[in-house]
Amino acid sequence: MPPTLPRSRALAWAAVPLAVALVTAFGQWAGANASTIVSFYLVAVLIVAAWGGWAVGATASVAAMLCFNYFFLPPFGTLTVADPANWAALVSFLAASTLASRLVATARRQAEEAQRRRREVETLYELCFGLFTATQRPGVLGESAARTLQAIGADSGGLLLGGTADEGPLASVIGDGPLAIDRTLAERARETREVVESEETKGVRTAYVPLDVGGLLNGILAARGALASRAVLEPAGRLLALAIERERLLEEAARLAAVRTSDALKTSLLRAVSHDLRTPLTAMRLEIESLDRHVADRPEALSVLHGLSLEQERLERRIDNLLSLARLEAGVAKPHPEPVPPASLFRGARESLALILADRPVETRVEPLCPDIWTDPSLTLEILVNLLENAARAAPPGETIELAAGRDPGARERVRIEVRDRGTRRTDARSGDSSSGGLGLRISWSFAEANGGTLALLDRPGGGTIAWLDLPAAPEAEEVAV
Amino acid sequence: MTRATPLILVVDDDPSIRQTLARELALAGYDAVAAADGMEGKFVFEERRPDLVITDLAMPRADGMAVVAAVRRVDRTPVIVLSVRGEEEDKVRALDLGADDYVTKPFSLRELLARVRTQLRKSGAGGGEEVLRFPDLEIDRGRRTVAQAGREVRLTPTEFAVLELLAGQAGKPVTLRQIIATVWKGAPATTSDTVRVHVGSLRRKLEPDPANPRYIGTEPWVGYRFLAEPE
Repeated sequence: MPPTLPRSRALAWAAVPLAVALVTAFGQWAGANASTIVSFYLVAVLIVAAWGGWAVGATASVAAMLCFNYFFLPPFGTLTVADPANWAALVSFLAASTLASRLVATARRQAEEAQRRRREVETLYELCFGLFTATQRPGVLGESAARTLQAIGADSGGLLLGGTADEGPLASVIGDGPLAIDRTLAERARETREVVESEETKGVRTAYVPLDVGGLLNGILAARGALASRAVLEPAGRLLALAIERERLLEEAARLAAVRTSDALKTSLLRAVSHDLRTPLTAMRLEIESLDRHVADRPEALSVLHGLSLEQERLERRIDNLLSLARLEAGVAKPHPEPVPPASLFRGARESLALILADRPVETRVEPLCPDIWTDPSLTLEILVNLLENAARAAPPGETIELAAGRDPGARERVRIEVRDRGTRRTDARSGDSSSGGLGLRISWSFAEANGGTLALLDRPGGGTIAWLDLPAAPEAEEVAV
Repeated sequence: MTRATPLILVVDDDPSIRQTLARELALAGYDAVAAADGMEGKFVFEERRPDLVITDLAMPRADGMAVVAAVRRVDRTPVIVLSVRGEEEDKVRALDLGADDYVTKPFSLRELLARVRTQLRKSGAGGGEEVLRFPDLEIDRGRRTVAQAGREVRLTPTEFAVLELLAGQAGKPVTLRQIIATVWKGAPATTSDTVRVHVGSLRRKLEPDPANPRYIGTEPWVGYRFLAEPE
């Protein structure tokens, strides 16, 4: 109750002459002797001292001493002291009453201090309880800040979120209008991580409370009003910071749970699609192979079957491509890099395209000191198959396709794979926007990127195209801790 | 093998694949019996005790993993699983459970029949010989020496253990977890990279062309497979 305090003190001052006069009048009326009246004066002095403090008590002591001398010590009606023994009585009364009023005032002040502390602890406890039992719901941040502002006695205030004070407007939480922010003070609070307060005018001041959790600044609470003491502002700020942090973590946890659920859904959907698409393909392939044996003596049927298996293989690759891309884009499949020898990639790609490459010369060359590639083998094989298939489609029949691998001349820790052909392509075939070749290319780009690589198509001197696939090299054995 | 003609059990829920496989296995000179799901597969396995099992992984009722586990509870009958691309974890899990090999759908008949032959030969031959002989490579388990094209190759004990494990199961994919469990006895600090480093140095010592391995092939996502055929 800070506003009532000065009035109570003024009343105590007014009570001083009243109390002294009352005791004097009573003494005169009752005809009390000197030793009786002394104890009455003492009681009056203690009462006003307990009320108004030590200064009031000391003044009352002097007033009481003078009245005691004037009215009750002979010669009566004068301030003269005839008997030296009465001097001793006067001085000891003054000393006793002054000392006692001092003691009473101190006790009173300590009681008040204890009371104030109790109120502070209560305020903080209530704030704490309010902040941490708040259920998670939208707007809880503003609610927490409003609760804190009320607890510290602010009339208006708001949150300056984020690390810097000069950016971001005040999220006004309580009060009539927007609070005028002193950016300098807010900035100082941000830098020192301590409560910064403005000058107090008419009992009102503005405070900037840093919201700091473990060295991480969540923002600044600006508060204006007849604020509680610093001893409350600091812990209140820490509590609010913890509440904000808790809120953030709860949100994070909820978001992660949602992501996990949707990932599980995507995974099972993709799994089902993959199984349902591949099962008939497998059956088709087995039937074609089986038929192959039965019509071995009929060349025209064999050529039809050959065409059929080519198309079946192509469909297989498209589905592989699309499913891998879907997995990658859905984020349910992360590339699993491992050291992959380029030669085994080349072999794998040629085996995957056995039919398409049947009548096509393919030259492969791996530089003697070429390191393994650090990449996901399945995805990289798909890139290579796509590039090789595009090259085979573009190049005239019988024209050689070259596959080469070596250290990237520009960067030692990367491997460059090249697919070179002498084909002619439509100009839009490289953009990846249209045609089935375009889809394969688009997918290859995605896969290369997912593996930390790059893919580029360049004009080959003398006609044709070179596809450059740059991928990270696997660490050398010596570099890997064993 | 007690039968004159090996009996092969095919477990797949797709009737078309099941029938084609059974028919083609019969044409290739095997006796074939089919089951429509894992539950039926386990039952037929108990009844007929086939010499080899081919099983799909994703099936209603009991899946392929259950078939692998059921077979392994009884004996060492070779099991080949039919896996789907993109489901590499399933493949590795099946191998760790005790499956001997896998083919990835859509697979070719030729490929599957080759795997069947390898597995049947292995289960008939047994793997206890002192000296493993491959083209240009001799691994003497007793003396712990390795000779490549007549020249002795000096291997560290760990490299030898890795080679012995892979070559002892020639033709069969071995997962990284199986290598760590056998060679390192599952020592806690052992990672896939540890295995890769040792395989890398083995290749440099053994392979005429390490970039194009002739003996130790990489099985993407899974581990390694010893490529050479025993002599």
